[in-house]
Amino acid sequence: MRLTTTTAPDAGPGFPSQSAGSDLPALDLVRPLLGFPDYRRFALARLDETGVLCELRSLEQPDLRFVVIPPAVLFPDYAPEIDEEVAEALDASNPDDLLVLALVTLGDTPQAATANLLAPVVVNHRTRRAAQVLLEDPELPLRAPLAAR
Amino acid sequence: MLVLSRRLGESVVIGDDVVVTVLEIRGDVVRLGVDAPRHVQVRRQELLAQVEESNRAAASPDDDAVAGLSRLVGDKDEDH
Repeated sequence: MRLTTTTAPDAGPGFPSQSAGSDLPALDLVRPLLGFPDYRRFALARLDETGVLCELRSLEQPDLRFVVIPPAVLFPDYAPEIDEEVAEALDASNPDDLLVLALVTLGDTPQAATANLLAPVVVNHRTRRAAQVLLEDPELPLRAPLAAR
Repeated sequence: MLVLSRRLGESVVIGDDVVVTVLEIRGDVVRLGVDAPRHVQVRRQELLAQVEESNRAAASPDDDAVAGLSRLVGDKDEDH
């Protein structure tokens, strides 16, 4: 199943339209973030009005959060191939149900921020199931600079 | 750790349905073939470690850093 990320995620139902995410159904990470196996429930919320920067905040450990971006704005050519097996794990029968989010690592300066395009978080916005997916394409960068865009 | 010696072309079976076969041995490189059901994820260990390290580096940035990035990304967005 090939996903295009050219559609902005706010086109999909279930994506937060307001900055407050507390009343949204939690995401269930059926495959947790690597290194964080104990944290499965996260709220997805916007960090700015444009919806480019979002955050995944743990509902189990409030200090734990990750900045994520829908890659389309900064990486328009990024079209990850999602295994059928992953789609099944997320109960996704339709590629339109799936939304890709790249984890952002912030650096010492804003210009040093990078996005992980190799292992994005894939969300079924209909069922709220999500997974970190290690993609098969060895060319995809683990640290793609945001500022170079 | 269970240690087994295998020759070229020989296999080990893990559980009921995972088969690992030695396909080629060249110097210090061994090529393995893995037959496993689709729900069994087969990954290179060092790649998993790299992603885990990246996740840890991404975890819980401070508010100032996020605000700085938000300004940078907002500027980029307006350029489009």
